[in-house]
Amino acid sequence: MSSNTNQRGQNFKQSFGRTAGLLGAILLVVVLFAITSHGLFLKPANLLGLLRYMSSLAIVGFGLTAVLITGEIDLSFGAVYGLSSMLSGVAWIVWGWDLWQSILLALCGAAIVGLFNAFFTTIVKIPSFIATLGASTIVFGVDLLVSKSNTLSPLSPPNGRVIPKSELKFFSELSNHALPGGFPMQLLWMLLAAFVFWYLLTKSLFGFHLKAIGGNQVAAEFAKIKVRKYKMWAFIICSVAAASAAILDSSYINSMQPDSGAGLLFPTFAAVVIGGASLIGGRGTVSGTLMGCLLLAILANGLALLGSGAFLQQMFVGAVTIGAVVLDQTTRARRKE
Amino acid sequence: MSSTNSSDKSGIRLEHLRKKYGDTIALEDLNLVARPGEILGIAGPNGAGKSTMVKILASETNQTSGTITLNGAPWDPREHKKQVAIVHQEPQLFANLTVAENILVGIEKSKYVRPKSSQVDQNLLDEVGLAQYAHRRLGSLPLAIQQRTEIAHALARSADVFLFDEPNSALTEDESGELFEWMHKLANEGKIVFLVSHRLSELAAHCDRVVVIIDGKAKVEIEKNELTEERISRELMTGVASKRASLAQAGKNTTNLLTVSDWKHVDEVFKPIELSVMQGEILAVIGVEGSGGREIVRSLSGFAPTTGEIAMQETKGSAVTKQVAFVSGDRSNSLFTNFSVGENLYVRLENRIKTKLRTVSRSSARAIAESAKSEFLVRAASIDTPIRSLSGGNQQKVAIASALALKPQMIALEEPTRGVDISSKAEIYKLVREYVLQGNAAVFYCTEVSEVFDSADRAAVVFDGKIKKILDVTKFNDAESLAEAISQATAS
Repeated sequence: MSSNTNQRGQNFKQSFGRTAGLLGAILLVVVLFAITSHGLFLKPANLLGLLRYMSSLAIVGFGLTAVLITGEIDLSFGAVYGLSSMLSGVAWIVWGWDLWQSILLALCGAAIVGLFNAFFTTIVKIPSFIATLGASTIVFGVDLLVSKSNTLSPLSPPNGRVIPKSELKFFSELSNHALPGGFPMQLLWMLLAAFVFWYLLTKSLFGFHLKAIGGNQVAAEFAKIKVRKYKMWAFIICSVAAASAAILDSSYINSMQPDSGAGLLFPTFAAVVIGGASLIGGRGTVSGTLMGCLLLAILANGLALLGSGAFLQQMFVGAVTIGAVVLDQTTRARRKE
Repeated sequence: MSSTNSSDKSGIRLEHLRKKYGDTIALEDLNLVARPGEILGIAGPNGAGKSTMVKILASETNQTSGTITLNGAPWDPREHKKQVAIVHQEPQLFANLTVAENILVGIEKSKYVRPKSSQVDQNLLDEVGLAQYAHRRLGSLPLAIQQRTEIAHALARSADVFLFDEPNSALTEDESGELFEWMHKLANEGKIVFLVSHRLSELAAHCDRVVVIIDGKAKVEIEKNELTEERISRELMTGVASKRASLAQAGKNTTNLLTVSDWKHVDEVFKPIELSVMQGEILAVIGVEGSGGREIVRSLSGFAPTTGEIAMQETKGSAVTKQVAFVSGDRSNSLFTNFSVGENLYVRLENRIKTKLRTVSRSSARAIAESAKSEFLVRAASIDTPIRSLSGGNQQKVAIASALALKPQMIALEEPTRGVDISSKAEIYKLVREYVLQGNAAVFYCTEVSEVFDSADRAAVVFDGKIKKILDVTKFNDAESLAEAISQATAS
């Protein structure tokens, strides 16, 4: 009894220990890359680029964190990312819709995929792993169908279609608006998303109940928490977050590619899991996900600078993910002793 | 009388067996002897340590201290797993394999090749009457056949210690009869046979001796010549403090709070029942597992599919069940292990902890948790302590407190003191009593007569999906006469 007189302090120490570990890892790779890249890594332009990459990873990651907290899994957000990018592009550039209508269409499309995932997971009751894996393939099919597997750019619309200058400017400025010191606009969006998700997951009743459901779904049902409703919102939020990141990214590169979400799945999972979210539910934070994304962005950037190529990058990210989870589990087991 | 065979040293001897889980003492100091050739009955209330003993013998856990000897030599169940066979209520076999394959698991002839069903000893199959089922998938067969497979599996490994742990609670009468024949057969062959059961009549009918375990100790050993149902029941009852909460009478009130009529389970787990719960009372629903009693209690909170009418004061239908708070008997279904004590206490209180912006108000949530913690005598260093580090009794208090903190007019509890130590037990009943005295009511499902006697005002006796009788518990002077009335009601 006397050993846990100051439990609150101890809880704080535990979560602090985890944060400190991640920060240490981040610091370590920063120093490592700063030295091996002969200062290239620390150049402001490089760091800002790194943060931009991180921001789109993080926006998707926040959504995934919400789903993981409930104890479910979402494997469809990569495909949703691609579909949303193409839906907005096709509606805007090919069909000639207004820009705002096209973006709304993309977000609604994503929400429908979220509903689809929730329906099969909570009502039909098949494992979310399968439901969202299936959804992922279906969505990618729709994506290819809608886009006819073409890459689109608002700068080169099909013959006869003229895109208003104001819309072009607005779209491009979404992610390219010039901020003082070359601060990436997308990072600002990420900070906004981080605030919204922090509020949702940590402060709100919604987040509290999500955590309860992930901790013990049966107990949550007996406590009369509306498990289905909460899970539905978690899936919708995850899809919409992926769609938002997709639109911001297509604004940044001023084009829409149908297969753009394909490479997103693993890095996002890696970042979220490194950030401390548990695949069995009940655990996950915005700050953890942020740091996981930062670590992953640094790794990707640093390894690219070293010219080590995509293959080595792949191997590295995989190894780091496994290492982080192993480390987390062993320290957790020791704390329990 | 019992030791007609062999010398003093034969059999399994448990000496000063002690098992602690954290702060909770599951076995205090257990001493007993099981001899080959006899069926040793083990009786005791839930949480007395029966299942801990079974777990130790099955090498699922090991004792904190104490020794086990077999025929006089020290014996560690973990080194002799194949010698021990456990027959549970739920067979612990592989539902996806055939009967023959199940028997072969663990005694395969080759390390690499998948065993062929034909390798099973045909004589064994004939002997246990499984020959016709040998190639059927185990999961598709009735429970009784699955249990027989379990016995055959053990015989194939030449096990000589058989532990039957509530083996027949889900069997029909005929199937049970066959199972008991098997137990006698095994005993006659010189095996050591344990029978752990709640069913006193069966213990009396089939055992050579019965050991009554209470609070982690072997309280008494009843020899064959004095072995009757009444005797076991008397030993069980007197083990638990039999003083009646004096508050019971004071809270009497005859206003109906909740009424159900023509209330029946969709799958007929219980047949149409009429029941009313009065303000200020604790109503016990007593019946064995599978009687439908558990489902009746669950249904009041909307956790069993039902048809019929339910009314609580002015409200009717599903609006009523929404208001009835429920606490599962299984703590793994009522607590959130990723949460602290405090979070567990306020997790249900949506309306009392949310702000206008739908955030959780930390200050009011913590205040509620603090007051619930002290009101319910939860022994934890602070409300920030992880729930996992509490003892079973304190965890159960948190589970019940979290439901009572909702201030529901009615609460449905399932075995509220299962696996809880005696002092927490008394505290839990006292707290529920205080709560009903504020004009509320509680209904709980229970299998122990002594608990009903200690805590309830009325008892609905459930058997075979029907409420056989509703007894006024306060009219009984001792638990024994209540037990008698209950068994009479069941028999009628």
